[in-house]
Amino acid sequence: MEPSPITKKGLFSWILTRYRGLQLLLLLLIVSTILFRVLPLELQKRIINQAIAYKKMDILFLYCGLYLGAVVLAGVLKYVINLLQSYIGQRILKELRERIYDHILTLPISFFRRTPPGMVIASLTSELSAIGEFLGGALATPLINIFTLLTFAGYLFYLHPLLAILSFSIYPVEIIIIPFLQRRYNRLNRDRIDVTRSMSNVIGEAIAGIHEIHGNAGYRLENRKLGRFNEALFTIRNQMNTLKFLIKFLNNFFQSLGPFILFLLGGYLTLQGRFDLGALVAFLSAYEKLYDPWKELMDYYQDLQDSHVRYHRIMDYFDIQPEFLLAPPDGRDPLRLEGDIRIQDMSFIIDGEIRVLDQVSLALRSGEQLGLVGFSGSGKSTLAMVIGQLYSYTTGHVYLDGQELKTLSKQDISFNIGYIAQYPFIFDGSIEENLLYACESLVPGDGGSAVPLPGRDEIVKVLELVGLSDDILRIGLNTVLSPDGTEDFTQRVIRMRSTFFQRWGSELADSVNFFDLNRFQEHISLGENIAFGHAHVDEYQLEALPGSRFFREFLLESDLLDPLLGLGEEIAVQTIGLLKDLQDDPYFFELSPISQAEYEEYQEIVSHLTKAKSVGLKQRELDALLRLALRFTPAVHTMAALPENLERDIVKARRRFMEKMLQHDPGAISFYRPTDYVFTQSILDNILFGRTKADRPQAIEKVREKVEELLRQENLTAETLEIGLKFQVGSKGDRLSGGQKQKIAIARALLKNPRILILDEATASLDNASQARIQQLFSSELKGKCTLISVVHRLELVRDFDLIAVMRAGKIVEMGQYQDLMDRKGLFYELAHGA
Amino acid sequence: MSLHTEPKKECSISPGEGRCEMSANLEIFRNVSAFSGIPIDRLKLLAYLSKRVNFKAGEFVFHHGDLDDKAYLILSGKVQVIREFPDHSILLHEFKEGDFFGGLVLLSDIKRLFSIKALTDLECLTISRKSFQKVLMQFPEIALKLLNPTIKRMVQMEERLLQAQSDQCIYG
Repeated sequence: MEPSPITKKGLFSWILTRYRGLQLLLLLLIVSTILFRVLPLELQKRIINQAIAYKKMDILFLYCGLYLGAVVLAGVLKYVINLLQSYIGQRILKELRERIYDHILTLPISFFRRTPPGMVIASLTSELSAIGEFLGGALATPLINIFTLLTFAGYLFYLHPLLAILSFSIYPVEIIIIPFLQRRYNRLNRDRIDVTRSMSNVIGEAIAGIHEIHGNAGYRLENRKLGRFNEALFTIRNQMNTLKFLIKFLNNFFQSLGPFILFLLGGYLTLQGRFDLGALVAFLSAYEKLYDPWKELMDYYQDLQDSHVRYHRIMDYFDIQPEFLLAPPDGRDPLRLEGDIRIQDMSFIIDGEIRVLDQVSLALRSGEQLGLVGFSGSGKSTLAMVIGQLYSYTTGHVYLDGQELKTLSKQDISFNIGYIAQYPFIFDGSIEENLLYACESLVPGDGGSAVPLPGRDEIVKVLELVGLSDDILRIGLNTVLSPDGTEDFTQRVIRMRSTFFQRWGSELADSVNFFDLNRFQEHISLGENIAFGHAHVDEYQLEALPGSRFFREFLLESDLLDPLLGLGEEIAVQTIGLLKDLQDDPYFFELSPISQAEYEEYQEIVSHLTKAKSVGLKQRELDALLRLALRFTPAVHTMAALPENLERDIVKARRRFMEKMLQHDPGAISFYRPTDYVFTQSILDNILFGRTKADRPQAIEKVREKVEELLRQENLTAETLEIGLKFQVGSKGDRLSGGQKQKIAIARALLKNPRILILDEATASLDNASQARIQQLFSSELKGKCTLISVVHRLELVRDFDLIAVMRAGKIVEMGQYQDLMDRKGLFYELAHGA
Repeated sequence: MSLHTEPKKECSISPGEGRCEMSANLEIFRNVSAFSGIPIDRLKLLAYLSKRVNFKAGEFVFHHGDLDDKAYLILSGKVQVIREFPDHSILLHEFKEGDFFGGLVLLSDIKRLFSIKALTDLECLTISRKSFQKVLMQFPEIALKLLNPTIKRMVQMEERLLQAQSDQCIYG
């Protein structure tokens, strides 16, 4: 453990302890740059007093040369200093962000129940970035400016002490007034951060609940919520700006008082002959040069205050300690437990009085199976989570192999316990990454590998055990491959295609529309039916076809243009009428060839149509209608009918199109030929070389079974599984079904071979067959190998368990085996019959 | 369009001039008593979102315990309602052309309580829970109109089930 927690560190401790070498270099550069800042002033004086006054050309050249050199050097140094400064700042920021994130992730789960994600996100991104900007210059900026200020002040003093003292007299006034204003500014700034956080929470919540908002059309309501904070932010920002610019104004005002005194007094002295003109010019220049460092110091002061406020706002918020040790103390290896569990008078109390768990006691020997049942809210899930070290208990004891659970570290637990939640979280990434998540977490950060990651065979075995292989094979079969590096695989798929057709072609004739040059395909669009291939050139992509001259001319020659335009018109009129008032919900557009975004465009076309019966349509509008007709897929789009003539004419045109295309631009389109792999379609569709009929729900299943059989025969199962494992599951695993997510979570836990397995209604969203399979797994494969704790709703799932604990209001009220509890006719009996 | 007057083969129920499947579905819905109280433009939306499915004699439409999410209206054919057990099955009821079944899943995410097996070749019109609920969100008033016949159906089913149980008791 860290000796002093990160949240207790001060802002400057980051700067003073990091990159000292670089910071020293920075300091040296700063000192040297000051020399080059003062030198031009002295040169200026000498150019006027010596070179110009005595008309000495050679001295003029010398001083001018020196002047140029000094200015260039000062510029270059400033550039290097800036680079170095921001580099240091960003390095510290990077470390700061990682360290805080590390800390946040280890905080107790209860912390996250009350902390909205928007708040954590804002803290780690925008708030922290602003600090980073400041950090780089935190030491350099004040130093460089104070040095400069002192140097110029000294130079002024050297030129004329009295004048210098008089012109400095303004600064003390500023030093008193400005901090007073700044303190008020800081208070507002703290309020601003709080309001901004609340506002990000509102936005975060709205995005998480976007379904509900769309469902209720709650747009205005949500906007009003945001509006409250937005209004507050507006007010605070305005007040802050008032103060900020007031400070600026005062600064500028006092600054310009200086030259006033100088002109008056310096002019008087010069007129009297007690001060020479060159010195006055130098004095004025030097005084003006005072302005920059002074202003920078003022800005720095404001940034410092701002960063302090931000930094402490962040650190105070996360100033909580993790409930458990993260790693074993004294650097010992994580424990390997047997899986004995003993709970003694354990209570879990929240808010000081609510006993979520009340005096729970139970004992479980290694390899035994415990079922936790009870009405919802009885504490059964909480008990499972306490054993899984997700919550800490308040009083009493929980012993794992005789060791108090509270004293064990997170690593000890993760090596020995697999916890599967009711709604497991699946991370964005591939299925494989998700499966290995638990195992990869066991690999220590320093790269040493305490546990080897499971090999392919082991993964495949576990997938089979939890019934996930079929899902993954299916996902693999639905993958659209890219042409590079898959040559060998696609060649084998094409061979499978012909085997498949020979073997099952006639059997499946009424379930599948096989691709056939001479047959119309109801399951692909009319455009695809005509082109019968997929384009490599933009001009012939389905969406671009209406704009292609070659294609339009072809349609005209084939007498297809008019019927297609007529069809497009019919689709547009029907769809626009149907979806009127429903444009807000994208769902209604899923079965329509008009997309949600295009609704208004087509609405306008339809209104033109009713006015001037297609005569007055512009070319652009005709193209749009043709596009609809080409998108039309008879098996999907039901709002218009396709005349049989058109079907026949399209098939006739198809062959001619292919011939013409091969002359016009060979290679632009890969036609659907039995010998070619189609890279725009899934592996399954490539094997099938056709489409299952949409009205035959059983057909897909039948086809899959046969394809899978063939895959096994051709030894392609492993490769397809491999492709499926690479499937990207999307944010939160949204591209998977609920059952698939749960099976992945079970496999994920099993892969690390835990001694204790905890399931919190982990099979609830599985269908009966999958549930039975998992049940079977517990009663045979895993029986005796690991201690099992299963929270269930359906009582028959724990029929064979060694022990069943029935819970009510945080207490275990009955405990025993299934039949005992039934015979007792108590709460368990009631649960069995009431539910 | 006027040149092409041949009817589309899918529109077999009400063959009209180039009638599309959606209109045919609408015509069917209008003749179903369960939908009779729903205004025609709402019904048209349901017709647009519904899909036709076909089963061969002997195939199962769904099994007891499945998470199937569709309600079915039989266009042609007959089905058996079965409760399957590991070693035997009980025949509960039969549905025929014009019957509407499985409507309960439109309202809630539940597992099937029984299995449906096609007795003859079967054609059904289906509507999914998501489609139904989307329409409901737009036009909530149709909920009651659909709930009524579904609940009546549930009562009938339960009646029959109870009858079957008491019969079993009598005959041992």
